[in-house]
Amino acid sequence: MTKKKSPMLRIILIFFVIEIILVFLSGNFSKQLEIGFEHGKFRIRHVETEYNLQEKITEEFQIDEYYKQHGETPEIYGSEKIYNTFKNIFGVEGAVGTFQLLRMLLIVDIVLLLTALFIRKNLARRPAKSQIIFELIYTSLEEFVSETLGEDKAYYTPYIVTLFLFIWVCNMVGMIPIPGFMEPTRNLNVPLSLGFMVVVVVHFSAIKFKGAWNHLQNYINPVKNPLFLLDIVGEVSKVVSISFRLFGNILGGAIIILVVSSLVSFVVFPIGLTLFFGIFVGTIQAFVFTMLALTYISVEITE
Amino acid sequence: MNLTLAQGIVKASALLGAGLCMGMGALGPGVGEGFVAGKACEGIARSPENASLITRTMLVGQAVSESTGIYSLVIALLLIFST
Amino acid sequence: MALSVEHIQIAAYLGAGICVGIGAVTTGIGSGIIAGEGAYGIVKQPKANEQIFRTMLIGQAAAQTAGIFALVISMLLIYGRADAPEGGWFKAAAYLAAGLAMGLGSVGPSLGAGYAGGQACKSVARMPKHGNAIMGNMLIGQALSQTSAIFALVVAFLLIYSVPNQAADISMGRIIVKSVALIAAGLSIGFGTLGPGTGIGYVAGKASDMMGRFPNEKPKIMRTMFLGAAVSESTAIYSLVVAFLLIFAL
Repeated sequence: MTKKKSPMLRIILIFFVIEIILVFLSGNFSKQLEIGFEHGKFRIRHVETEYNLQEKITEEFQIDEYYKQHGETPEIYGSEKIYNTFKNIFGVEGAVGTFQLLRMLLIVDIVLLLTALFIRKNLARRPAKSQIIFELIYTSLEEFVSETLGEDKAYYTPYIVTLFLFIWVCNMVGMIPIPGFMEPTRNLNVPLSLGFMVVVVVHFSAIKFKGAWNHLQNYINPVKNPLFLLDIVGEVSKVVSISFRLFGNILGGAIIILVVSSLVSFVVFPIGLTLFFGIFVGTIQAFVFTMLALTYISVEITE
Repeated sequence: MNLTLAQGIVKASALLGAGLCMGMGALGPGVGEGFVAGKACEGIARSPENASLITRTMLVGQAVSESTGIYSLVIALLLIFST
Repeated sequence: MALSVEHIQIAAYLGAGICVGIGAVTTGIGSGIIAGEGAYGIVKQPKANEQIFRTMLIGQAAAQTAGIFALVISMLLIYGRADAPEGGWFKAAAYLAAGLAMGLGSVGPSLGAGYAGGQACKSVARMPKHGNAIMGNMLIGQALSQTSAIFALVVAFLLIYSVPNQAADISMGRIIVKSVALIAAGLSIGFGTLGPGTGIGYVAGKASDMMGRFPNEKPKIMRTMFLGAAVSESTAIYSLVVAFLLIFAL
């Protein structure tokens, strides 16, 4: 038991240290700590800068509203040209939020692509550690898929694994305390489009396996399905509940970390919160989203 | 958007109704779906070979018992946006 | 009608009292259930008393999370707000609503977490050999049932910190609409977490119980628990959506 635990503990410890260093380095942190001696005693105290929590929440979560109120030019870490293109497409109101969201999504995509290429290049008969981790993720999800859908329909596995890894990396990337970094899943557009995609896949599979006419009868024929009106509302509520679950949990974690770290002057407590909301909640929500997508598919195609 | 006092009271009571509707409406489905899922856990532990069948039954049962929650959501949205 | 600072203070103190008062009720009941099951377990299995005692303490600590959230909100309402007379009715309603949201919102989750912890203690007493697996399952289940309390906490934070001040030239009807909308948001998420919290607690309790009886089926039981808990949570999510709409869309 102890042998199994030790690498995990080591990872968490390394994460702690990295997080502490990054939090101290990042100028984004609103309260500057002052460490020193005062009246012969060792003290840590914070130097309060001009700080308004309400404005901070607006800046973090409704960034376009913030810039509209303040009328400043937003800080663009990337290229000015791309931002100006966005401004032409989306107008001034939605430009900053869209730019930030797309930049984060691009970062997540690049991380996933580079990891995939790296793993693929180093594939070996005797696997290295990184290969073991990804093979473990793939095979355990493949087991779930073949258990719920049946052995012959295990070709849904790549979709499920992609969904899981994408959401997981999205939830993890927000923990890096660099100014401007956020979880893409915190923006409602990302979970909503993922949820909509899941429902499209569900209906596509249903039409493929049961035939279009048979599937349509569930929603129009009151003899075959007396609760057909309920099912139509249920399809909409599927999208709402699957996407708002992810969105609400990630947004909740982000708001709590922001508020608590602005109230507590010590840096240690927010790190514990980041561990809980980032790693635990992020992983569980990614898993739950994937499993719900899988079971929605299985309800339609296995009769 | 400025409202007169009477219009304001009508709109305000609609909003209060929306909040109470969704709040109370979430009570029953939450407990009921939890009961379904708890019993499904028990069933899967007792006969693990029927796991996928039990999971499917659980999801269908939960979807049906969630319907009153969805009704509450629809009514709440109507109260917020249509008055 | 203009409000003075004292009026806003009255609302905030009332909200703080309601918050921790209602929130403490089921936190106590939940911890009591766990302690009772733990004591009964020690009577049945005196050899495993250390393990049962540990499970009981950890379970009680996790079951009190929602109560601690309520305490945090009431502390914020007492000390952590900026009194501005121009806040007016909006601020007063928002403070009262924040207290209602977190106070009512901690009722269900702590009851559910209490049931889960109690079943886990019972299960550890039956199968002390698998105590660690049962305790891990109990903690995950309790964390799942506290998710809806986290929703209530988010709404309370937003009510305290993101409601704007009242504009100077605003009609009485508009004031009534906005203030009642804020209180309705608090009531929506407050009552809305009650059912899901209790339900997910029941799921987690059953899962812990069955993990003690059939320890070989651990992965399947845990997967069903995750799935069932996630679906039971959807009505709390609808409440969250309605609360967000009531706060921001009006």
